[in-house]
Amino acid sequence: MLVNAMGLILADNQRVKLGPLSEPRALSAMPFAGRFRIIDFLLSNMVNSGIKRVGVIALTRYKSLMDHLGTGASWDLDRMNQGLYLLPPYINPLTRSSDRSDLSSIIDYIESGSQDYVVITDCNLVMNTLYNDILDQHLDSGAAITVMYNHDAYEYGIPNISLTLDEDERVTDVLVDMQNPPSDISAINVAVIRRDLLLSLLEDARSRGVTDFTFVRIMEYYKQLDVRGCEHKGGIFRINSMANYFKASMGLFDDELRHELFSRQNPIYTKVKNKQPCLVESGSRVKNVLASDGCIIQGDVENCVLFRGVTIGKGAKLRNSVIFQDTQISNDVNLNYVVIDKDSVVKMGVKLLGHPGFPVVIGKGSIV
Amino acid sequence: MAHQNVIAMILAGGQGSRLGVLTEFLAKPAVPFGSRYRIIDFPLSNCSNSGIEAVGVLTQYQPLQLNSYIGNGHPWDLDRNDGGTYILPPYISQEGSDWYLGTANSIYQNIPFIDSFGPKQVVILSGDHVYKMDYSKMVKAHTDIGADATIAVIEVPWEETERFGIMNTDKNKRITEFEEKPAHAKSNLASMGVYCFDWPSLRRCLIQDEADPDSKNDFGHNIIPKMLAEGLYLHAYTFNGYWKDVGTVKSLWDTNMDVLDKPDEIDLHDDSWTIYSKNPQLPSHYFGPDAVAERIAISDGAEVHGEVRHSIISVGVMIEEGAIVEDSIIMPGAIVKSGSVLKKCIVGMNTVIESSVRITPETHDLCSFLNEKLCEDGISVIGQDLIIHKGAKICGNSMIGPQDAVTHPHIVSEMPSRYSY
Repeated sequence: MLVNAMGLILADNQRVKLGPLSEPRALSAMPFAGRFRIIDFLLSNMVNSGIKRVGVIALTRYKSLMDHLGTGASWDLDRMNQGLYLLPPYINPLTRSSDRSDLSSIIDYIESGSQDYVVITDCNLVMNTLYNDILDQHLDSGAAITVMYNHDAYEYGIPNISLTLDEDERVTDVLVDMQNPPSDISAINVAVIRRDLLLSLLEDARSRGVTDFTFVRIMEYYKQLDVRGCEHKGGIFRINSMANYFKASMGLFDDELRHELFSRQNPIYTKVKNKQPCLVESGSRVKNVLASDGCIIQGDVENCVLFRGVTIGKGAKLRNSVIFQDTQISNDVNLNYVVIDKDSVVKMGVKLLGHPGFPVVIGKGSIV
Repeated sequence: MAHQNVIAMILAGGQGSRLGVLTEFLAKPAVPFGSRYRIIDFPLSNCSNSGIEAVGVLTQYQPLQLNSYIGNGHPWDLDRNDGGTYILPPYISQEGSDWYLGTANSIYQNIPFIDSFGPKQVVILSGDHVYKMDYSKMVKAHTDIGADATIAVIEVPWEETERFGIMNTDKNKRITEFEEKPAHAKSNLASMGVYCFDWPSLRRCLIQDEADPDSKNDFGHNIIPKMLAEGLYLHAYTFNGYWKDVGTVKSLWDTNMDVLDKPDEIDLHDDSWTIYSKNPQLPSHYFGPDAVAERIAISDGAEVHGEVRHSIISVGVMIEEGAIVEDSIIMPGAIVKSGSVLKKCIVGMNTVIESSVRITPETHDLCSFLNEKLCEDGISVIGQDLIIHKGAKICGNSMIGPQDAVTHPHIVSEMPSRYSY
């Protein structure tokens, strides 16, 4: 069904750093759950909600993101009308500096849409949800901005936007990155706003020399506008830090959470790759393993997430680890609490041990 | 339509009756294979990788699944501005309507389609073979020699020649004689059902063949012998590589097991010749805390909580805790519940094996579904969209289909709703 809203995805969040994993890519392009990237969840939620026009604001390191998105066909967003819009920054080639025009591409995108509402999402959210409830509530309450929240503030740590709400769910206080927030209410960075209001806010910001557009900036309007909350009751992983990312990956072994995240009714779409089926060879042991097509497993693997095309040699022992696409783990390697980025090679007999709260992280294309 | 030098026609209309219940609701080329493929992925991917940009797929028998699977050809990169994939069912014309009567007749009925591309050569393929072949090399050999037709052949063991169409050739590989399933073969070069024809020669032969009331309108029986009799140049192009016809239960099972046992021969891992398939949009597959998995191939969305050995686990399959699956092929979306033991089984799409079912070659309790005409070597076949009730014990070489839900309602039921992969 069609909804009267367009989507806007903030594809990077400079406040969230995932160590070496963040170097080659924007946060939304971060691989997650074996064959997905975070943006797959954001786009699929939009598309499953009936949104047919989605703008993706890319700030930096967006090559990996653009490779992944292509024409948007994987999300059914390669449309004759509407579809996927990539909004990279305008940089003035003469001065090598952004000439105050970065908001212009966003303003253009929003201006040229015909829908009355805009659903804005940040890029650190892994969940499977529909935005129809928050849209309905936004219409009913007559609020200027409606933001999603849940009662998770203590669990996810910083970066965090902690909210105080009154009995009408009106936002009365916003605290950014507070160590021990006074309330357990924490914003899920999804907001609904009228298109014409967003346009006037953006034009006002542009004229004052503002060049960036972040979720914190949206929340700060609570002082002048009617900003309300809408509770999200489903499961969610916020990817706010390396420790969170690792914890979320290990959380996928929970059957209930995994089945909610990958529901049959609302599939999470991703870019198609054509790898062969995963082969688990004789003598291997696999327990609590999420593995993907193209993997060849010969070793002993427990509590691990394996992305596409990972090979694991004989005698290798992997525990509590996340191995990105096309990485080779040679024979007799021993890994525990390790995250290895794509296209890396771990040579024979190497032993790497991390800690649950502080996994060893190996960057893209490394040879260990 | 835009000009294409070479176009391909895939014969995908056959019933595949020797696969029994597996092809009750779908054409043989749409039968799932090797955990994440359908058989037709092989000829379609070969076309795409060979640079053939216009592909006609001739459908007739149970085309629904096949049509929806192929769609606009996008997964094989065959959605083109000029060309791409075309599903070609039989149609009604002013002279009346005709089903496709034989392989040659199906091409004859599509002469206007082929003419519209103005091709020099037409490559004719079967939709039911598993192999990786560069058709462009064959077309080049064909044009270099200046042949009227080129037939791909593969050397088969001498003791198996009586199962194939055998080509006898001279020393230049010019075909001198064609023998269909000879008792005493003079050569071991078997036709693979892959042909390259000069379109004007083939077009003329098809029209002559159609006028012959005694003809069976078949390439092997009629067109090739007719071309030989006319003295046309027919060349045998030898293919070296993996090639399997998956026409029987045994050969379907064997070929699937080759994915596990002969991975270097079937070579699905080769990135330079990818076999494409339609992506089901499911999460990564998952092995539970009590899973045991050895020598298996597994794909997206599958979950293994029980014990699986030497088996093909397809997309979206669920093997529950305590279930044991060995030497089996579990097709997309099927569920095997706890305590069930399956050995040498082919379980059709979306079928549910309830708990404590036992179907193995060593079981001798219930033999009402025995079908030794189609099943051999203890391999049992359970059709798609069925429920095998709790505790059923069924012997090897059985074949179970929807009609058995009528005669044995306490053992088999039909699935009330069909959610298809």
